[in-house]
Amino acid sequence: MATRRQRWRLYALGGGLGHLTRATALARAAVARGHAVDLLTNSPFAPGLPLESWLGPGATVHRVDARADKATTVAAVGAWLARSTPDVLVVDAFPRGLAGELVALLPTVRAPRVLVHRDLNPVYVERFDVARAVDAFDLLVVPGEDAPFAQHPRAVRTAPWLLLDADACLSREDARRQLGLHDGDARPFVAVMGCGRPEEVAQARETAARLRAAFEERAAVRWLVPTPQDGGLTVWPALAVMRGVDVLVGAGGYNTVQEARATGTPLVARARPRLYDRQALRLTEAERVEDPGALEARVASLLSLLLQAGPRERPSAWDNGVHAAVEAIERVAR
Amino acid sequence: MSPSFPSATPQCQETSGFLFSHPCERGSTTQCMRCQRAICLLHMRTLDGAETVCVTCARAADNGDENRDPSDTSDEDDPSYYYEDYGYYGRDAWRGSGASSSSSGNDRNDFTEADGESVRREDDASFEEDLGGS
Repeated sequence: MATRRQRWRLYALGGGLGHLTRATALARAAVARGHAVDLLTNSPFAPGLPLESWLGPGATVHRVDARADKATTVAAVGAWLARSTPDVLVVDAFPRGLAGELVALLPTVRAPRVLVHRDLNPVYVERFDVARAVDAFDLLVVPGEDAPFAQHPRAVRTAPWLLLDADACLSREDARRQLGLHDGDARPFVAVMGCGRPEEVAQARETAARLRAAFEERAAVRWLVPTPQDGGLTVWPALAVMRGVDVLVGAGGYNTVQEARATGTPLVARARPRLYDRQALRLTEAERVEDPGALEARVASLLSLLLQAGPRERPSAWDNGVHAAVEAIERVAR
Repeated sequence: MSPSFPSATPQCQETSGFLFSHPCERGSTTQCMRCQRAICLLHMRTLDGAETVCVTCARAADNGDENRDPSDTSDEDDPSYYYEDYGYYGRDAWRGSGASSSSSGNDRNDFTEADGESVRREDDASFEEDLGGS
């Protein structure tokens, strides 16, 4: 518990699930320290996630409709910022705001400002003078990956942020039960993650069906989705059951990659195009595949190894950088 | 509850223009079977009467080099072009993040064909306008 309860405001606008997941990890750790957290999201997944109950009574979540146009979204941000003055404002990824709106709005916020600084497209950085926007922040927290302004004099680096510490995740046996496997079923579990852009969610469903048809005798293949979808197994957060996953199939988003690495889960991923984040730079050669054929071949290879050698040794714990981030933010808050 | 995605179809991810390349502004109707990008009818090609691909992949196939980098990488595509002062993506820059190094001997942060895919959508027209594109 922190010595003084602070009022934090977290700006986590952005498509997909990534911005919301990273902000939720921070919010959960801040709430556990006794702070009051007010989180703003426009993730299309947010309406279906039990964020309030998962974060606890110290958190409030404001959901902006993901389908809202730019003017409506900017108006929602302005209203959210005008409600009251927090002790600290934390902005995920976009120092200018997702729609560039923070350039005008930030000067009205009489509170210390913190930027969660991850990779940004260098063309965007150059053409939109992001360096000037970054200078408006009192602290930059770099969550485990390099980023354009990681060398900024007010930047601090942490280990990657994760939604859960190791002791909050299920054991392998409990995770496999939660994933629907019977105790007598010894097949490796292949999880195909169904998040990202809508067309990618649909593709993940097709990928899971294809892998299931190819490997049903050798592995249990499931399409994991954070919110209910026909044919999907709803699991959120997926990190809770990751010890029961033997092969993770997904994309190169921040959370998928960091969760796989922290838990020692073999990852087979395609680098998906994003406007600001470059997934290909995040993935290693061993993790990345270029097309569906290569993906199926890589999964087959990993399954062969698992069937020969048995489940691999997994880390029992990991360094969750979100705790160091909370402490750094506490120091700049009013 | 299903995610509340914007209802509009994704924009075509092929580029138009000869002197000044810019993203196509049409809505997509299908997907390239090779690079998986969303493409419109104008930028769709059919190879061997069966394979639906984008113009870039069709051009690569026409040139007889299936492994050619489909992106037109210029000096500006190299992050170090912008961040020499920050050391961004310099050699060993990511080693501290827990990532393993490449076994090929190349810097694992060097751009590859997959990076070309990642930067294809870079354009002033989409930044801060496409609120679901991050």
